[in-house]
Amino acid sequence: MASSRDDFIIAIRSAFLKKSTQQKFSLLTLVIVSIFVILLSSFDFRFIRYFKMGINEFVYRSSFVVSIPENFIKNTFVDILDYTTFYKDYRKNKDELSKLRSNNISSEIIQHENEELKELINDYVSSSDKIMAKIIVDHDSPFLKSIIINKGSKDNIIIGTNVYDKAYLVGRVIEVNYKTSRVLLLSDLNSNVPVTIAPQNIQAIITGSGNNFGQIKYIKEGLSEEFTKESIIYTSGTGAIFKSGIPIGRLKFTDEKKEKKIYVEFFSDFSQLKYVFAEVVTKTEIQNSSDDPSINDEESNPMNAKLKILEDEIKIIEDSNIKFKQENENLKLKINDLNKEISNFEGKITSQKNIIQQFSIDKEELKFLRLNLEHGHKCRKTFLNSKGFSVGTTDYKKCVLSKE
Amino acid sequence: MTNLKNRGTIFKFYSWLPLLVLFISVMNEFDLNYLNLKYFSFNFPYILIFFFTLKDFKNFDYILVFLAGLVNDTVVGLPLGISSLSYLLICISTSYFRNITIRPNPIKDWFYFLFIISLINSINYSLLTLFFSLNLVLMNYIVNTFFTFLFYIIFVSFFKYYLKGLND
Repeated sequence: MASSRDDFIIAIRSAFLKKSTQQKFSLLTLVIVSIFVILLSSFDFRFIRYFKMGINEFVYRSSFVVSIPENFIKNTFVDILDYTTFYKDYRKNKDELSKLRSNNISSEIIQHENEELKELINDYVSSSDKIMAKIIVDHDSPFLKSIIINKGSKDNIIIGTNVYDKAYLVGRVIEVNYKTSRVLLLSDLNSNVPVTIAPQNIQAIITGSGNNFGQIKYIKEGLSEEFTKESIIYTSGTGAIFKSGIPIGRLKFTDEKKEKKIYVEFFSDFSQLKYVFAEVVTKTEIQNSSDDPSINDEESNPMNAKLKILEDEIKIIEDSNIKFKQENENLKLKINDLNKEISNFEGKITSQKNIIQQFSIDKEELKFLRLNLEHGHKCRKTFLNSKGFSVGTTDYKKCVLSKE
Repeated sequence: MTNLKNRGTIFKFYSWLPLLVLFISVMNEFDLNYLNLKYFSFNFPYILIFFFTLKDFKNFDYILVFLAGLVNDTVVGLPLGISSLSYLLICISTSYFRNITIRPNPIKDWFYFLFIISLINSINYSLLTLFFSLNLVLMNYIVNTFFTFLFYIIFVSFFKYYLKGLND
């Protein structure tokens, strides 16, 4: 028992410490170094950052060169597939183009209107330039979905820069080097994007699924029943991570009834990306004209003129609101007075009604007494008149009144 | 004279081929999944490192394996050092296995390989999810381990041809 334990310890010690003639370092040393590297890489020290950037630049370029043969084979395969569906795609594109042309004009109008409104709301105007970037490394790893582009801090790329394929969002920059950057794709599990689902106008968050589609998460229960196949997803701009209104994809329903997951089919095919557009945003502060009194407000700055009109409009509305309030108060007082008068009149009417009722009773009694004097003997029961009634009974009264 | 020189260069290149393939594979991250099969992936560097360190191949320097790990982390986007640690753990396990084995058996090696890659992938997954808070699909790791295990026996036959050619 003891000898087998000794053997185990000897074997382990030998595995860790023994170096053969070719090895320069023992495995134990290298394991310690790698643990040290893991610990260091989790800290954001400046020299580590620059060291990592250096490694990244070198490795990305090398990886691009090494991947050339494989990419060539891959692209050839894709090209062959493309040629087989060439005519079908042409027809489809033609139809889409005609539709898009008609939509383009209205879209431009909305865009201008949107910019104008944003300028009114914010204190800054954001102007963006989309720069084209080539994808130098695109390894479809099953664990992390990311790409490397050939633009970096030299081209004003910063962490969080939105990256597009045509007009569609594909991801955002998560690591910036001098001439390269890493883009986390929307399909990655660690990607979370606040979105709006149109036309239902429902807010949600989509996360990557690790495959080439997204998944709707964090949505209020019951709202998912309103979704249709026509529902389109675009960024909501919540959290200011992504710009608002960037198209992402379309809803995709699965037939599996057990799973209540709603998937998103991205407009862009991430496996076929060759070039992307990185949006470099520059914010320009709007100068307040009150700082410079020499400038004529309304003539020099049309925005101020607009604001002045809006302020005047608000003032007018406020004044008329006060007037309406006063008028309302007066009317309320009048209504109260009238209500009091009505209640007085109602009291009078009731008393008069009582008097009238009493009068009619008296009148009827008088009539009976008169008829009783004239015809009472005809109705009274006597020895000769056996058909008569006893005095004071209802039948007697009826008989007297019928003699009128 | 010239022929001999040429032959020497070719031989040198041939003897460094496994390391060259290792570096190409970590830079390229190829997984042969051109058909885009769901979940399909396998880890070629694991197979390569396991086989050649088990055979105590003379040009398979541990420091270069460590560097290959750093390159892999950079390409994949993992925190630096994770793959290096994984590769070195494979080296340690093969070194230990070599020490305790008297009569080598390919089937035993194969199943030992399964045990080791399962263990290393578990460590990898735990480190990345617990310490680096990354969201990962466990199924990917399981399938990757399974296919790496399956492909081991295929690649080993190629590697044996290579070793045979080198010895000849």
